[in-house]
Amino acid sequence: MKVELVNIGKKYEGREQFTIRHIDLEIEDKDFCVILGPSGCGKSTLLRMIAGLNSITEGDLLFDGKRMNKVEPKDRDIAMVFQSYALYPHMTVYDNMAFSLKMRKEEKTVIHDRVIEAAELLQMTDYLYSKPSEISGGQRQRVALGRAMVRKAAVFLLDEPLSNLDAKLREHMRVELVRLHKSLETTSVYVTHDQTEAMTMATKIVLLNDGKVQQVGKPSEFYEKPANLFVAGFIGSPTMNLFPGQIEDGVFKADDDFTVEPDQADKESLAEYQGKRVVMGIRSERFLAGEAEKNNISVEVDVIEMLGKEQLLYCKFPNGKECVISEPGHFKYAIDEVHHFHLDLEGLHFFDEETSERIG
Amino acid sequence: MKKKKEKGLYLSDRPPLTAVKVGMLGLSYVLLFFYVFVILWPLAQILFASFNGNHGSYIQIGVSFSFSMKHFQYLFGKTYFLNWVWNTILIALATAALTLLFVSFTGYAYSRYRFKGRKASLMAIMLIQTIPSFAGIAAFYTLHSIIASIAPWFSRQMFLILIYAGGGIAGNTFILKGYIDSISSELDDAARIDGCGNLQVYRLIIMPIVRPMLAVIALWSFIGPFLDFMLPSILLNDPRSYTLATGLHTLINDVRNMHQPVFAAGGLLTAVPIIILFIALQKQLVSGLASGAVKG
Ligand SMILES: Nc1ncnc2c1ncn2[C@@H]1O[C@H](COP(=O)(O)OP(=O)(O)OP(=O)(O)O)[C@@H](O)[C@H]1O
Ligand SMILES: [Mg+2]
Repeated sequence: MKVELVNIGKKYEGREQFTIRHIDLEIEDKDFCVILGPSGCGKSTLLRMIAGLNSITEGDLLFDGKRMNKVEPKDRDIAMVFQSYALYPHMTVYDNMAFSLKMRKEEKTVIHDRVIEAAELLQMTDYLYSKPSEISGGQRQRVALGRAMVRKAAVFLLDEPLSNLDAKLREHMRVELVRLHKSLETTSVYVTHDQTEAMTMATKIVLLNDGKVQQVGKPSEFYEKPANLFVAGFIGSPTMNLFPGQIEDGVFKADDDFTVEPDQADKESLAEYQGKRVVMGIRSERFLAGEAEKNNISVEVDVIEMLGKEQLLYCKFPNGKECVISEPGHFKYAIDEVHHFHLDLEGLHFFDEETSERIG
Repeated sequence: MKKKKEKGLYLSDRPPLTAVKVGMLGLSYVLLFFYVFVILWPLAQILFASFNGNHGSYIQIGVSFSFSMKHFQYLFGKTYFLNWVWNTILIALATAALTLLFVSFTGYAYSRYRFKGRKASLMAIMLIQTIPSFAGIAAFYTLHSIIASIAPWFSRQMFLILIYAGGGIAGNTFILKGYIDSISSELDDAARIDGCGNLQVYRLIIMPIVRPMLAVIALWSFIGPFLDFMLPSILLNDPRSYTLATGLHTLINDVRNMHQPVFAAGGLLTAVPIIILFIALQKQLVSGLASGAVKG
């Protein structure tokens, strides 16, 4: 089912300002859409509006072109996994999963088959008659998934379902969830504040901040073409290095005492920024070791983080400004040494300092 | 074989007892036994007195014991005891049922819904609680005569039920609201998505979870009419319509009609319905206690 949000806004009772506003979004059928953003930016609010648990203050919510603003949650053909799992504590795992089907007066045999099917897929068959309090966190999470699965709803809503799990299990469940999404052939909307989850699972990411959509697109676009300074700083680990500076004669002059001559494509888009303030962004892996003819920097190594395959160098410019550089793990660096690097011109991002929007 | 092997192992999770701790433990036992004695001794006295044929109108100390049922015979034959039991049970059941029904609605509504006057009405309920119900005796009288003039079938007993239930609803709304507040509202949301309407959310999800609390509320509202003497003695005027407390009181408040051992026998039997209810609710009560213990 295709889910469309048209100019949606939400203002909570007793709040001065809109929590989110002017949200326009199209989620295609069978998309795995991840809503990403820092804590408190309104992700859950948006998801709960799609579910019908929060009212929509302004705008329209369309499912396959039909307006759903006033439709009860139970009539929306959705299933939802909650952040706290929200399992019914007085029911067994089996009854938890069967509950929604029972409420819809399905036949007993159908219910049984669906529950068993889901339990087998999630490897929960041994725990069907345990209470939620008697199983582990990871198992509870799977029950929550199972409960949403049995409905075979058209839209699958997930609110940070992996946030309570340990790292190993989370990694495993990420793959499981994507597999599940494919096998169920539903539209999924997944809320998270974890960019790794977003980058690895999504077919489409929506980055929210300040109640506004910052960027919508494929995961790779977020890394390669961040739409503004917020996205540039939010996506990617380590964080992108940002250097404020000025364009003079087509050359970027950083406040930190180095100059960069951008490549042809960037030069063209920067043409109208002659003499204006811009911010240049470059990711840690786009620093190349050694000196070249142009675009060099020399920095002092402050801290080294050895990750094996690569190493992260936390460096300082002579004026104290810091930057992060990643180099292959077998290169030899030592703390307090001064090293020269040059910049990979294809890895440069320019942003208007005033509007913080991407240039080009 | 296996058992023998375990004998030498220390399996408890607590640190082993030292001499001082053993002493403290002994002291605790002594205190507990004393406490048990204080409670059980009067009960035993009632038991003996009600079966002792040597007692006359008064219970005297130092009378020898001879088993007899004559006090019970008097109780059932010469008084309206069965009427009183029946009245009290009816009033207690009606009170408990009314209280449970209304508290379910009010507790759930105050916990889950935001509406105008929510805070103010909660405050009002709390403040009104502090006024004892017999302070309203005059108001009760006038109220009853007004209602009875419109609906003659509205008896004084029904009015008593309303007073008990009214008090119970106010006080227990707080308790239940607090208990429901501690249940995540995401459970409600999940149930709503799973296809429940408002009432179903309460009946299928919330009510089973708060059942231990409801059991306690039911028990307390049921016991209330058994214990209260003041209101029925003022409101009820026909000995046949008395509750147990007022009825039995007639056996000891007048020298011309003094039957203390019969009073003891009646008191003994009064415990029976309460015990039956307690046993019936035991599972709910204990499960509540147990789950609370785990949470803490
Ligand atoms: N019921 C409510 N009444 C009033 N304000 C609310 C309510 N629920 C949320 N808010 C406000 O809306 C904002 C967004 O909340 P929301 O729960 O959507 O954040 P979130 O993006 O899901 O954060 P997190 O990642 O921490 O879950 C917050 O500032 C919060 O204070
Ligand atoms: Mg949230």
